[in-house]
Amino acid sequence: MRTPHVDLKELEKLKNDNFKERLEFIEKYVEWLKKTPNKEWSSQQRDIIG
Amino acid sequence: MEFKYTKNEISIKDKTISTLDSLVIDFTDILSNYAKYVVVSGYVAILFGRSRTSEDIDIIVEKLDFNKFNKFWMEVSKKFECINTRNVKVAFEKYLSSGTPIRFSRKNKFIPNIEFKFPKLELDYWTLSERKKVLLNEHQLFISPLELQIPFKLFLGSEKDIEDAKHIYKVFKNKIDSALLNEFNRKFKTINLFNRYLK
Repeated sequence: MRTPHVDLKELEKLKNDNFKERLEFIEKYVEWLKKTPNKEWSSQQRDIIG
Repeated sequence: MEFKYTKNEISIKDKTISTLDSLVIDFTDILSNYAKYVVVSGYVAILFGRSRTSEDIDIIVEKLDFNKFNKFWMEVSKKFECINTRNVKVAFEKYLSSGTPIRFSRKNKFIPNIEFKFPKLELDYWTLSERKKVLLNEHQLFISPLELQIPFKLFLGSEKDIEDAKHIYKVFKNKIDSALLNEFNRKFKTINLFNRYLK
């Protein structure tokens, strides 16, 4: 099977970009959390973490 | 864990469907009518029993033109909403076409969500073309080849990623193509990590 070229520098950049995107997501999530009633956000959290 | 493993398919029956499983099933049932996709990263380990959760599911979707993406958007918007924007043109042009993922959650929910992105790297295109079918109870999903997933997780390198890699390897070590796994370990320069943590 032919496997793809792996450019580690390109992947490092992508890894950093993904990290940046996740940090931006946390900012958005906390913004939403602050304006959302406890009952609602905690119900969504419970669905994920049990 | 009981499963059937063949070259192109993994079948797992009688699994209790979790919130994450249900999100992935509902979303990909719609997506599969419009595009080829592959689920990658953490959910692959969670799907096969890893005892952790995640607030997002990563999906690589073959590049669509705007017309087709718009049709998908209209359909998916009946059950889901895009967290980044409510505007389909913005989602397509500002985000996806410039290589930035968008996130979809169920309506009026923020988490968990689907991170939806177009392929960028040769690796992404390969993952899409070599995706592996999973039959989860009666539902069909497509995941990244495990021989790539393990070294990729090792490359990412956080404790969580290494644990995911170890989980997948230990569950499937007698089934996966070890030559292909070795080749990816060589390409990702993860041979030492593999020997140190997974063997």
